[in-house]
Amino acid sequence: MITMKRSSIALLTSLSALSISSTLAQEDQFSTVITPAFSPITWERLVDARNEPENWLMYSGTLDSQRYSLLDQINVDNVDQLEMKWAYQIPVIDRAETVPLVVDGIMFITEAPSNVVAVDARTGREYWRYDHEMPDDLRICCGRNNRGVAILGETLFMSTLDAHLVAIDARTGNLLWDTEVARHDAGYSKTAAPLIVKDKVVTGIAGAEFGIRGFIDAYDPETGERVWRTYTIPGPGEFGNDTWSDDSWRTGGASTWITGSYDAELNQIYWGTGNPGPDWNGDVRLGDNLYSDSVLALDGDTGAIEWHFQFTPHDVHDYDAIQVPILADLEINGEQVPAMMWANRNGFYYTLNRATGQFLFGKPFASVTWAEGLDPVTGRPIRVAGMAPTYEGIMVSPPIVGATNWYSPAYSQDTELFYVTSFDGEQEFFKRDEDYEEGERFTGGGGRYTQPMDAFHSSIRAINPKTADIEWEFPIMPRSSAGITTTAGGLVLTGSADGYFFALDAESGRELWNISLGARVHAAPMTFAIDGEQFVTVASGNVVYTFGLRD
Amino acid sequence: MRRTHPLRSPGRRLIRSLTAVAATAGLLAAGLATLPQVAAEDAGNLYNTDVDIRMGQRYFERQCSRCHGFDAKGNDEVGAPDLTGSLRNASTDASIFNVIREGVSGTAMLPVAADVPDPTVWQLVAFINSLRYDPNSVTLEGDADSGLALFNGRAECNSCHMVDGRGGRLGPDLSRIGEDNTPEDLMLAMTNPHEQVAPRWWTLRVTGSDGIEREGFRMGEDSFGVRIMDVDENLWSFRKSEIESYERIEDSTMPSYEGRLSDDELDDLVAYLFSLRREVQPQ
Ligand code: HEC
Ligand code: HEC
Repeated sequence: MITMKRSSIALLTSLSALSISSTLAQEDQFSTVITPAFSPITWERLVDARNEPENWLMYSGTLDSQRYSLLDQINVDNVDQLEMKWAYQIPVIDRAETVPLVVDGIMFITEAPSNVVAVDARTGREYWRYDHEMPDDLRICCGRNNRGVAILGETLFMSTLDAHLVAIDARTGNLLWDTEVARHDAGYSKTAAPLIVKDKVVTGIAGAEFGIRGFIDAYDPETGERVWRTYTIPGPGEFGNDTWSDDSWRTGGASTWITGSYDAELNQIYWGTGNPGPDWNGDVRLGDNLYSDSVLALDGDTGAIEWHFQFTPHDVHDYDAIQVPILADLEINGEQVPAMMWANRNGFYYTLNRATGQFLFGKPFASVTWAEGLDPVTGRPIRVAGMAPTYEGIMVSPPIVGATNWYSPAYSQDTELFYVTSFDGEQEFFKRDEDYEEGERFTGGGGRYTQPMDAFHSSIRAINPKTADIEWEFPIMPRSSAGITTTAGGLVLTGSADGYFFALDAESGRELWNISLGARVHAAPMTFAIDGEQFVTVASGNVVYTFGLRD
Repeated sequence: MRRTHPLRSPGRRLIRSLTAVAATAGLLAAGLATLPQVAAEDAGNLYNTDVDIRMGQRYFERQCSRCHGFDAKGNDEVGAPDLTGSLRNASTDASIFNVIREGVSGTAMLPVAADVPDPTVWQLVAFINSLRYDPNSVTLEGDADSGLALFNGRAECNSCHMVDGRGGRLGPDLSRIGEDNTPEDLMLAMTNPHEQVAPRWWTLRVTGSDGIEREGFRMGEDSFGVRIMDVDENLWSFRKSEIESYERIEDSTMPSYEGRLSDDELDDLVAYLFSLRREVQPQ
């Protein structure tokens, strides 16, 4: 037994320390090295999350999803002084796509397949863990991963691969409730972090490769009961149902597998939707296929659709609009505009008016061959003829993985630039005839590269959201799936496919610092502070690393 | 995990049925024994008498316990599972036999030596089966509904324990406590809480360099740090280098209910606790 019994000597010193502490209050401050965790997270705190930058309270940092932190202790001048403070190894080997939350010194990390661990954010050492019990008949299209939790009060909310939503006590890891969102054996699954909107947990669904009908749901955080569900494909009699030929709307996909954003003043939830199903064979679903590949604005209380904007009508290339909507108020041509910035998987960048859904302008931010441009009034793509997948295959850019994808872009309030991980690639698309069978893959084709990946060009691009012009780019090796975070320290923080974590100057794109972590960065970095000391955290491979300035 | 201990007070009339279950199992075995035994694919264990079970146990203690534990409750470190609940890889006698004979490839679970005769393997199967029983066939003296009322009412168990997301944080979540505990285990947990305290529920008393003492449940203790939850449910993390000292108290903070609650009330609580299992979802 290695019990450390308190010796009488230790007792004496501590008592004397106590007696002088009142007279030496100043020194006492330094000896009190810790503060307890944590105080409950109210909705007001979530709305005002930017103003407590020591915490990272939701997947995208703030409800506007800018991923812009006010912390500036680590900045352009000293970022090269970063050193590793700790690493947390995820026990189940898979790829980590987690963006951890930090709440008053506690970090919540999600793990594959659907587990969550609470660690001390200063040391990375565990308080508790929750291992989700998984059925053995899972259908998973794209890896066993989990991107993060949401917090409200003292409860964490997590999506699970078996298409459940679970509530977990943030202090103990106890399971509070476990709600089936959809049937996993019909192909549904869940990987994205939920979004708290007032007193509800809003969450999406994955599974468009299995011919599901997508939706966005809201749940009661206390009971786990569903409050509303908004289908992303209109039913019979509803507006837009006639944009699907025959019964194709039933298996039309339009999943919602990334986290959305919220505007408290407009009381609107914004959420991107995925591709129509089957992905590459549009013959069986003629029409625009609303609301696939769209952004939906939902009423923050009822989930009713207030407006929609479809980026890619009748998509046959798997160009999901599964991107995180970034919201900011921009001055465009002398006018204050409630804007939404969106770099789409289809290769175009868009600035929309988020109050109305009106298209303002847009242009390609990466290589695009399937469309010539966007209609200047409606924003609808002007297609190049003959670019739909054929039985033999046809070369199209962007490839299936897209000009960008689900990985978070970011915005900086200082530079007023929008940053996105982009890929200039091309691929042969082909189609197949396929019948729908519940729980089976339903894609109708696929793609193949005819060149090695290293032949393509990848970069971090900084886009001016007032003009859609590219201001600078920083080339990296293909094909990155890392998200981006910006800070008031003038930094753009991101990672690469070849395992680097690095910092760029947000103004110029100049390289400031990099470190090889040895495995692909699949996640977005985040930043937080404890007792005034700033840290940055990023997952690479199967490990979560935390960096801080050299002591 | 709590080990099964013989009941302290021999007169307690907690359980009617465990012996009844054993008797049924014996009958069943007798019935099966009339079937010809062909191969491991055909269910039916000829070696299932009390003597076989004891032989199986002896062999288990020698050859298997270093991984699965003497109580067969498993060992997280080597990943050896608890064999007293429902098994993952083996649902029938024959499949348990096969796991022991063939091992689980790619894991530490190796096959038994080839020269171990089949009857010995069947005795192991009989022993493993004797550790398990069908909870639904257990009839208890107490009344689960009265137990529930006590739990959330006068006995105030819920001030420390959660069940299905309601209750306190100063004790383990009991939502599924009936799954891997016998009624005897549960009775002992209430009457003799100090007997077995999981390390998660030890108390650490930390004296900071500021001289202030903070005490709480041991959420983590490692080479360089300790982490606790105090009675106000605050989480604290300390580096050992930054504290004066700390003390570990391995007693339970749960009071003993022996004498505090009547035998009937304890029986009711056992019935309630034993009913706390995850419902199997109808497919
Ligand atoms: C070196 C450690 C080790 C030893 C010794 C060992 N086991 Fe195992 N046993 C394991 C591990 C690890 C597993 C889990 C395998 C897996 O991952 O499925 C296991 C699994 C099992 C299972 C299947 C459990 C289930 O839930 O499906 C049975 C039954 C079993 N062991 C019985 C025995 C018996 C009987 C012996 C002695 C003859 C024995 N084991 C010896 C490590 C061991
Ligand atoms: C003051 C807080 C407190 C109260 C009140 C309390 N318990 Fe406990 N209980 C604990 C703690 C701490 C443990 C873990 C340590 C241990 O095993 O004794 C525990 C353990 C248990 C266990 C064993 C759990 C396991 O995982 O093995 C059971 C069963 C249990 N309690 C039931 C009850 C019942 C029934 C009541 C009411 C009659 C009750 N407790 C009242 C704190 C409490």
